[in-house]
Amino acid sequence: MIIYDKVSKIYTKDDKPVLRDVNLEIREGEFVTFVGYSGAGKSTLLKMIYAEELPTTGNVYFHRQKINDLKRKHLPGHRQQIGTVFQDYKLLPQKNVWENVAFAMEASGKSPEEIEEDVPQIVDIVGLKHKLHKYPGELSGGEQQRVALARALVNRPKVLVADEPTGNLDPISTWEIMQLLLKINEYGTTVMLATHDKGVVDRISKRVISMDKGKIIRDDAKGKYCI
Amino acid sequence: MWLQFKRTFLSGISNVMHNFWLALSVISVIAVALFIINIQIANIVANDLLLKDLQDRVNISVYLKEDVKAEDIRKIKEEIEKFPEVERVVHIPKEETLERFNRDSEENQTMKEVLGILEENPFEDILSVKAHNPDDYAQISQKLQGEEFKSQIDSVNYEEHKDVINGLNKEIKSSQKMAIILGVILSAIAILVTFNTITITIYTHRKEIEIMKLVGASNTYVTMPFVWEGFLYGVVGAIIAIVVSYLYLHSISGGDNGDTLLFLSNTKFIKQFLGDYFVKNILIAVGLQFVLGILLGVVSSFIAIRRYLKV
Repeated sequence: MIIYDKVSKIYTKDDKPVLRDVNLEIREGEFVTFVGYSGAGKSTLLKMIYAEELPTTGNVYFHRQKINDLKRKHLPGHRQQIGTVFQDYKLLPQKNVWENVAFAMEASGKSPEEIEEDVPQIVDIVGLKHKLHKYPGELSGGEQQRVALARALVNRPKVLVADEPTGNLDPISTWEIMQLLLKINEYGTTVMLATHDKGVVDRISKRVISMDKGKIIRDDAKGKYCI
Repeated sequence: MWLQFKRTFLSGISNVMHNFWLALSVISVIAVALFIINIQIANIVANDLLLKDLQDRVNISVYLKEDVKAEDIRKIKEEIEKFPEVERVVHIPKEETLERFNRDSEENQTMKEVLGILEENPFEDILSVKAHNPDDYAQISQKLQGEEFKSQIDSVNYEEHKDVINGLNKEIKSSQKMAIILGVILSAIAILVTFNTITITIYTHRKEIEIMKLVGASNTYVTMPFVWEGFLYGVVGAIIAIVVSYLYLHSISGGDNGDTLLFLSNTKFIKQFLGDYFVKNILIAVGLQFVLGILLGVVSSFIAIRRYLKV
């Protein structure tokens, strides 16, 4: 489904490479966790899926389509197929829970009827049915991340990319988010997760890709946090 | 298409409501910018009216010899009216001049006694010549010194007054040029300040723009709410500017010129400007105001947001 073919990334000539000749294939429906020290290249690798970063050399394929060759006008359509969750939640502060989740559907041109039907359902799945009209500032970190998750899922993406989604959360909220991610994966969505959390990685026992200095050093089908 | 239009418009309104004080500051800046532009336009037009008024008062007087008959006066008048430089010629009979002189010197006892001694009207028939362009008086005066007029024209007062006429002309033109230059500079400053204010407003939204792009919104979907915001700022700013400009101009019209005035050098013609230009063409004046306000708001927003769309 997603293929990294000899991908390297260097920001400037004098910098060390952030990614070095990465070759990787992610199959549909997999749950893949990326672990490694800060600066290992995990986030850069994930950002290439939704084209926030482009490879310096090599190619990234999504369903056989070369992402790095996508024209600017096709980027929004591509990103609508990919749900993204970030460490800092990235919610729109002036929109409430309903509006934040609905925004993703509005941006993809969904009708008001579809939005009326889907938004409450997805917000209910993440356990925030009673907080539909709250603003991000009125929610805890864990709740904000659940809203972000709802927004990421509302367009039924094929892939969910989560870059350190539990980085700012307490252990209980962390595990709640992880359970949601696992549930989403059970329904068939491919999940790609970058995390520092050893406890989470060891507990979920999924494919673990360990990275160091821009290279993949281990790839275990049911891995542990080995950095 | 209609759905996107409606969503982005409502999003624009929502942005304005959520950032009320910021919106108010932008609207104020647009209103002030338009107000400055309006006053500059009023200034330039009033100056132009002043120029025309002064030019109207400038003329040269052709004094005719005593023995020139009424029929000949009519022929000379027609001849002078044929000069391409001449706008009009008015005949002032000597009787009218005497009457005017009597009125003006009613208080002056000495003058009254002098006139009483004289048996005849001492004044001459005058032809008052008005040129299209004050620069042409020299040429008109030269033509009047031609052979065909020598036997009928006693004197032409251009030579005595030419320095005054030329000086006045130069002053007025210079003043008009200054008004236009000042007007353009002040308007340009006002537009730049408006653009900068809107740029700063968009800057405060940069993170939201980034988020919208990452979630999959197109450039159009991200840009349009801000363009609508600019549109709303422009409309409200224009309404305020029209009302304040009219009230201000109305309050000072017909007053004395003086240092109390902010931008204007002469207020005598403001009433005429308001009546002849503004009120008579109210739809165009108001329409232009809205166009300018909306352009300021929309173009500034559009240019300001482009740098944040590269995610």
